[in-house]
Amino acid sequence: MKPSATRIAIREVVTLLTKRSVDPTLHHCRVPALDIQGLVKRYETGTEALRGVSLQIQQGEFFGLLGPNGAGKSTLIHCATGLAQPTSGSIRVFGHDAIDKYAEARLGVGLAPQDLNLDWFLTLEETLDFHGGYFGMPKRERRERTQELLEAFSLTAKRKDRTRTLSGGMKRRLILARALMHRPKLLILDEPTAGVDVELRLELWQYVQRINAEGTTILLTTHYLEEAEQLCDRIAFINDGRIVAQGSSDDLAREFGVSSLEDAYLELVGRKELSRAHVGDLVP
Amino acid sequence: MSSAQIRFFTLLRREVSRFVKIKRQTLGAPLLETFLYISVFGAALGSRIDELHGFDYVVFIVPGLIMMAWAINAFSNNASSILQQKFQRAIDDQLSSPASPLELLLAFSLGGFLRGMIVATLTFAAASALVDIPVDHPLILVPGLFLVGFFFAQLGVLVGIRAEQFDDISFAQTFVLQPLIFLGGVFYSASLLPEPFQTLTHFNPVYYMIALVRYGFLGYSEANVALSLGLLSLATLGLFLSNLRLFGRGYKLRA
Repeated sequence: MKPSATRIAIREVVTLLTKRSVDPTLHHCRVPALDIQGLVKRYETGTEALRGVSLQIQQGEFFGLLGPNGAGKSTLIHCATGLAQPTSGSIRVFGHDAIDKYAEARLGVGLAPQDLNLDWFLTLEETLDFHGGYFGMPKRERRERTQELLEAFSLTAKRKDRTRTLSGGMKRRLILARALMHRPKLLILDEPTAGVDVELRLELWQYVQRINAEGTTILLTTHYLEEAEQLCDRIAFINDGRIVAQGSSDDLAREFGVSSLEDAYLELVGRKELSRAHVGDLVP
Repeated sequence: MSSAQIRFFTLLRREVSRFVKIKRQTLGAPLLETFLYISVFGAALGSRIDELHGFDYVVFIVPGLIMMAWAINAFSNNASSILQQKFQRAIDDQLSSPASPLELLLAFSLGGFLRGMIVATLTFAAASALVDIPVDHPLILVPGLFLVGFFFAQLGVLVGIRAEQFDDISFAQTFVLQPLIFLGGVFYSASLLPEPFQTLTHFNPVYYMIALVRYGFLGYSEANVALSLGLLSLATLGLFLSNLRLFGRGYKLRA
């Protein structure tokens, strides 16, 4: 029998008052960091953003998700992080079901979203401190981690400023710092370098490469193919809500019978006439 | 402190810090408003009005003003906070955390509830400095005011979740809430109204809330106190469970 909302609420109040601790370490050897099977997302409008996506990302991988606008990249990420509710299919994060065991699943994930979704009322310090609190970090640990991240992203001088006063690049850095605050084992980066200058892009690349080398699994969506090529171990192409191909950059080029990831992508979106290999054809 | 407790208190701290940061607007303005009501209706007009049910006019209206302060602040705080965070999508930070629907709902509710409590307490303190306000039935007054505060906190959460623009909140506050509160008898006794308005007032739920709070302070009530308390408890519980269901479904919060 399904428990009533009241019983669930009472149980949660009791848990809230009595629970001593939740194990924050989600270490399960050989369990995929992210395991998605037959994921379908249909919005109330009837639009089917995901049409049976299956995908596995192993622990420690740097995985790229490429596809045109509206292909379903952000929807997939939102389903994995609880910001969207799947219509059917399953998502497991380090073995925890993202729906039934959402608390355990979300503890292991850090999300740096595409939108600069910072709260204008908060200072930089508060942004990180509150985020750490939402993930159950004790005060002392939050303070130390906040200092460490502000330093790592060259934001210490601005720590008392409200987020709305930051430049676009600083906001982007703060969003990445926020995603890393609770030391996630899976970091999801949704177009992290969109609209940032070259120096910052290279800085972010270096930083995420370093934390990947330290063991953090990374899922990256991007429109910059050289970014995916340079950073990712494996790449999946998503189009029209379906994963159409996946493998290393070379695997994908081979699969599409072309010489580069960019040409493979152009094949995917049906725009092979834009290939740099054909540039000469345009010159009169 | 467990992870769940840290999480809940952080969610609540965020809501409290929001209204404290803009305290001129969230605490100062409502206090000034209440002071003006007491000055205009109590001191200026009250001197020309006879006693109401054995109480000076200004003493008669203060309980309603305290209730109104708590109700409106609890409502507007929660509605604005949720809508503003939805607009900026900053709410995604809480929604993608391990926080449960109950933790989220309680934290959002208590933010406005506490703001209302602060304004109501300051209003009571300020009014007590000007006139002598009795507290006849504290055991009815305290639960009564807490229930009123929690009811309007829930209503604010509901409107905040459903709202898509600030106009939606302003509409609910200006065209629904304010008329119900004003016509519920904050500034007058419903027994003075001619028919059919006296009977119509009995269909206004706020009438019973004001009657309850006035009974707690003055020991005088136009409505059945036990019935008012019972109905208010049921309405508050119903609204809370309905909001809990909306949070559980992610209604207008999760895609």
